Amino acid sequence: MKHISETNNKKPGWIANTRLGGHRVALSLALVITVFAFDQAAGQLPAPAQKTPIALVGGDIYLEGGEVIAGGTIVFDQGKIVALGQEPDLPEGCQMIDVSGKQVHPGLILSRTSLGLTEISRHAESTDLSEIGPINPNVRAQVAFHPASEHIGVAAVHGITTAVAAPTGGIISGQAAAMRTDGWTWEQMTVKTPVGMMVNWPSMSNDETRKDAIEALNETMERAKRYRLSKEDAANRNVTPPPTDLRWEAMLPVLEGTLPLFISANTISDIQAAMLWSEQQGVNMVLVGGRDAGYIADQLAVKDIPVVVTPVIGGPARAWEGYDRTYSLPHQLHEAGVRFCIGGEVSAAGAYRLSHHAAAAVAFGLPQQQALEAITINAAKILGINHLTGSLEAGKFADIIVTNGNPLEIATRTEMVFIEGRQLDTTDKHRRLYERYMMKLDR
Amino acid sequence: MRVVNYGLRVDCTVGTTLVVARYQVKQILKNYMVMTRVLLLALLVNMIGGMVHSQTARVVGLRDNTPSVFAFTNATIVTEPGKLVDDATLVIRNGLVEAVGSGVSIPADAWVIDLKGKHIYPGFIDIFSHYGMPDEVKDEMVSQTHWNPQVRSFYRSGDVFRYNEKEAQTMRSQGFVATHTIPEHGIFAGQGAVVSLGEGEKARLLISDGVSQALSINRSAKLGRGYPHSSMGAYSLIRQTLYDAQWYEQAWKAYSANPASTPRPESNTALAVLAGNLANRKPFIIEAADEQWVGQYSRLQDEFPIQLWIVGSGSEYRHAQSTDNTIPLILPLNYPETPKVSSPEEAMKESLESLRHWYYAPENASRMIQHGHTVAFTSKGIKNKGDFLKHLRMAVERGLSEKEALAALTTTPASLLQLQNKFGTITPGKSASFIIASANIFSKQGNVEQVWIDGKKYQVKTEREDPRGEWSFSSPEALNGAILSIEGSQSKLRGHITLEDRQVKLLNPVVENEHLVLAFDGDSLRLQGRHRITAQAHAHEMLGIGATDKGMIYAWTALRTAEYEQVSQYDEANDKHDNDPNIDQQNGDNQDGNGDDDKPQHKALELPQRYPAIDYGLTELPYQPEHVVVRNATIWTQGPLGRLEEADMLISKGKIAEIAPSLAAPHGAIEIDATGMHVTPGLIDPHLHTSILGNVNETADAITSETRILDVIDANNVWIYRLLAGGLTTAKLFHGSANPIGGQDAVIKMRWGNNAADLVMAQAPPGLKLALGENVKRSTERYPTTRMGTEQILKDAFEAALQYERDWQTWEQQRQGIPPRRDLQLEPILEVIRGKRFAHVHAYRQDEMIMMMRLAEDYGFRIASFEHTLEGYKIADELRDHGAGAVIWTDWSSFKIEASDGILQNARLLLDAGVLTSLHSDNTQLSTRMNWEAAKTVMTGVSEEDAIGLITIFPAMIMGIDQYTGSLEQGKDADFVIWNGNPLSAFTTASQTWIEGKKYFDREYDKQLQEEIRRERARIIEHILKGS
Repeated sequence: MKHISETNNKKPGWIANTRLGGHRVALSLALVITVFAFDQAAGQLPAPAQKTPIALVGGDIYLEGGEVIAGGTIVFDQGKIVALGQEPDLPEGCQMIDVSGKQVHPGLILSRTSLGLTEISRHAESTDLSEIGPINPNVRAQVAFHPASEHIGVAAVHGITTAVAAPTGGIISGQAAAMRTDGWTWEQMTVKTPVGMMVNWPSMSNDETRKDAIEALNETMERAKRYRLSKEDAANRNVTPPPTDLRWEAMLPVLEGTLPLFISANTISDIQAAMLWSEQQGVNMVLVGGRDAGYIADQLAVKDIPVVVTPVIGGPARAWEGYDRTYSLPHQLHEAGVRFCIGGEVSAAGAYRLSHHAAAAVAFGLPQQQALEAITINAAKILGINHLTGSLEAGKFADIIVTNGNPLEIATRTEMVFIEGRQLDTTDKHRRLYERYMMKLDR
Repeated sequence: MRVVNYGLRVDCTVGTTLVVARYQVKQILKNYMVMTRVLLLALLVNMIGGMVHSQTARVVGLRDNTPSVFAFTNATIVTEPGKLVDDATLVIRNGLVEAVGSGVSIPADAWVIDLKGKHIYPGFIDIFSHYGMPDEVKDEMVSQTHWNPQVRSFYRSGDVFRYNEKEAQTMRSQGFVATHTIPEHGIFAGQGAVVSLGEGEKARLLISDGVSQALSINRSAKLGRGYPHSSMGAYSLIRQTLYDAQWYEQAWKAYSANPASTPRPESNTALAVLAGNLANRKPFIIEAADEQWVGQYSRLQDEFPIQLWIVGSGSEYRHAQSTDNTIPLILPLNYPETPKVSSPEEAMKESLESLRHWYYAPENASRMIQHGHTVAFTSKGIKNKGDFLKHLRMAVERGLSEKEALAALTTTPASLLQLQNKFGTITPGKSASFIIASANIFSKQGNVEQVWIDGKKYQVKTEREDPRGEWSFSSPEALNGAILSIEGSQSKLRGHITLEDRQVKLLNPVVENEHLVLAFDGDSLRLQGRHRITAQAHAHEMLGIGATDKGMIYAWTALRTAEYEQVSQYDEANDKHDNDPNIDQQNGDNQDGNGDDDKPQHKALELPQRYPAIDYGLTELPYQPEHVVVRNATIWTQGPLGRLEEADMLISKGKIAEIAPSLAAPHGAIEIDATGMHVTPGLIDPHLHTSILGNVNETADAITSETRILDVIDANNVWIYRLLAGGLTTAKLFHGSANPIGGQDAVIKMRWGNNAADLVMAQAPPGLKLALGENVKRSTERYPTTRMGTEQILKDAFEAALQYERDWQTWEQQRQGIPPRRDLQLEPILEVIRGKRFAHVHAYRQDEMIMMMRLAEDYGFRIASFEHTLEGYKIADELRDHGAGAVIWTDWSSFKIEASDGILQNARLLLDAGVLTSLHSDNTQLSTRMNWEAAKTVMTGVSEEDAIGLITIFPAMIMGIDQYTGSLEQGKDADFVIWNGNPLSAFTTASQTWIEGKKYFDREYDKQLQEEIRRERARIIEHILKGS
């Protein structure tokens, strides 16, 4: 509320900003109340920095590839894993936490989400997902990542330690950012950015708009390349470079092949068109969504196109398809040898359900180890952050969860969460309200 | 007169320049010429054919006294369906049939028309059209006394129809001579009239008026955008209006009997007319959007003394057996376009349902007739009405007998419209309205050449001279003896000219304006250059001119030397068809449609019957074995027995007989080894909006308690099968949450393959959906727009319902004056207050829920459940004390402001507080995995058995069906699921789902079914590809 009282205008700020009557005023009022509510709650308190080395002792430690150190110990210091094994050497001053009988896993990675970019989906004021216009390669998700969003804490408490916040609108939506789910500011929370350039592949379903959209895409690529050419030429000739164009500047890493396009496409035609186009343009592509990817899994495998499968829990698109069509997609991709990870849902409130999607794939054929890796190390690899997180390995960030059972099982509780070695407060908004109203009941 | 006027205008053009004046003169002359042509034509038509004049109108100019006696000889006459007379004569006089038959003598004054080779049929009647109806709705066409503009039962198509040349021509080209034309707009759209499709003054074209009352489930936006917005709202408006009409009559009777001491009832023309329609047993005619609506509408006949005619959609065959065959069906011959399947990816878009319907649509009529339905045809629904006969022939090719086809267009509509004395057959005394066809009208060669309506001829197609065949040039000299051969189809001619040993191809031969036009290369015939020739062809001779490329003009003549070969083949085909065993040459009796020898052979696909006739329909409905025993399972009884390990369950006649370890099963029991598997009661979702036809919300008003989900259940929904695959057996289908009082719910069991009526769980207590909070106050145009107003409008409705009860009590005691009007809106509200109907209240926030409980307490009833109950945990003790159930999601929150405070621990806290709690989905996909939803509550500390309770016995208790289902206890319905593991594990799926001792889903069978569906689609796709 502070920003309102500071306004010089006699009227409260939210009235001054709206020239119109009731309707808009009501909306603005809603916004203020929303913002106010966030300020009050502001999620759980960010975890204090790791001050001493910590050893989790006695748990079953799950490694990449399926190996388990039964009753082992994992040690981390200054935010990084330093040792793990049956009885590794413990550094001096090491804090010991007994986790015997528990499972120790890497923190889960949500590879595409609106988490941090939206609070109440029906309220545009609380949402920063879609910039105006079709071509926005320059916008960056991390700068709108709202550290106080309640949904971030909820996701973290359920084991998600890294989430890729991604813009969604237009054709080129902007740059996705891999964010850790704990911290005071977005700068502290940033793991790596950008991890991908988000693209909505123009759907074949509408021929006219599709043609326009593909033209816009081609035009974008050509302009970006012209910009690069002009820049290189200026550098070679040591003359004044062309005036900066933010959009084409942002496309340079895409042209260099260092930043993949995360292309959302679902039908066979759209996926194949995107594959051909990417090849022709000489850019790296990651397929996002991929509803029909099962029909062309072999092609994806041969061309080595990674897939972010999202969602797994869903109904078939066509009446004649089996009820299990969507659920069995990860298994199909696995069988065909496609590199994939599982992306969960876009919704911020539903971000915490990531593991449910991986589990559903298991119910319909995917081996458990594959399901786990699809939301940890394989996601990290596709996002290009596997050197930082995604598995329990010395040198990586201590993004660790401790569970009372198989983390894929819906009923399993995540009991401890460490992000960069900091132990999280597991009292999220849900628990806070629960405890508060238990008090009402008890009185 | 007009010409003179134009002239005057020229004279009066003052101040314009000469150029303009000249231009105008030119234009006027042009107009004059066009005008004269039109006038001349009209005069000509008038003089020759004789306009059909009104008998009471003044005669202008000369009287037309042309004699009107015709004898049509040597024709094949089908005098009525199934009765064919060869080589017969038809005599008509002054618009009526005078005589017909083979031995008829030709009156001396008759003009004789030789129809050798032609066929005559009774003229067709289109029993459902909007012929000649005005496009625009004007104010005077809307009721000024009925509150709803959609009710205009008084509106008569006879008053407003206009002769429409274009429409009439198209209809006549298909053999129609009359039509029952229906007003187009409104839920009570108005009354139908039978009109002639001839030309003339309206007074003579109108055959009978006020024939029927048209109903519709779709409101017309042209009459306004108010109530109703949904199909269920429209259905309710139909019911309420029919009750109102009955009341209106009683009210006026009571008033007339005692006007002095009775308050005068309202005057309402719409209701007055309806009351008359009901009294006179006028047919009520209504269009069904698919076969399910036929069943839905037929229930109106149980409630009201009305006679329904239902206009079908073309898919009625899918319910042929179960449809009430006492209701006349008016069927369109609208076949779907051939699905585009040449691209395998395009073909993926076609469901098995759409492919099957494409294949079966032409069999619709014959299948309905086979099941004893009275069927008449309408041309409606065919994109191009000119294709009607083509579609009719397809129906005949696919099993409809010619007799049945003809009856559906002649005798059946005539008798339904009570015109059997004038139309439908060619019988002395009846109207001389008939078709002359070039051959059997059901064969491809049988073009309609003329229709005669009331003794007046309408030429359908100008007979075109056929230039095909061989012609020999007799002039000019250079071509003498050359042979001109023309072949190909009428629209695509080809041929050549042969002169001695030389031959040239005809270039672009066409018939244009009744002239043959072509060119040829003269050089090849040793004539010089390129020649263009044209000619008028008559039967045996062509007279024409030619032009060389040097501009020389010459005349030429040719004589026919041979008929076109295929023409004679046609004749043969016709002769053969005349001996069709389908048509009894003697007396027309005892005919059937089975003799297909002569029809083009249609290669039948022989697809299995599917219930329902869509993707994943079962080839037979599940049967109920006498006894079933499930052995060695972990059984979650959700009853007093708790969870049993390694137990057996015996099911007898659809009920649970016993649960115990090592049961002795009766002889012949079906044994299921469920070792390592789990068994739970069938899952129950107390809040779902799937399988509803039309809009889920009646948004037009704040209180729409009269709407009933029962009226709009959709059994053709593949999601029912998918729900079974997730173990769901029972669900409550709700009206949406757009109104403080929504509509009446329906509980269905997922009895996949059954019709809508048989999905309904009859024993389930009725409920009413109410709603609070953001959704109901969102509309800016209607009360309420606040939670404060929401309380008040509810209170207002409760008061009105109580007053309604008092009014009836008073009437029952005194029986004096005007009886109260039945109010379908207030009755369910009163039932709620009196505890006879469950109140299920959509709510998110605690404040509104407390308001609702207090309001209910004031009126002495209990809220059965709050729905969604997001903030239920904030008022758990209040809910418990009131006795309200809490129906909740596990983890939906934050999609709107009032959903901000949804928490995962809601169920946990509510259960701990002793609130009757259930999970729900509100979302069809979610409803396919309620066991995984339940697992989320285990994460928050709910016990495993309570978690399963949240999706079985608890919802059953909230819905008041727990004595039938929801737990596995002796005597209850055998609704259960066999799981391949602990149902709360994320890795577990349903293996089998049983309802009332019948297995509706089996994962093993599903694999087979997926394969079957794949193959069946492929077979139809191959069939299409071969056909094209």
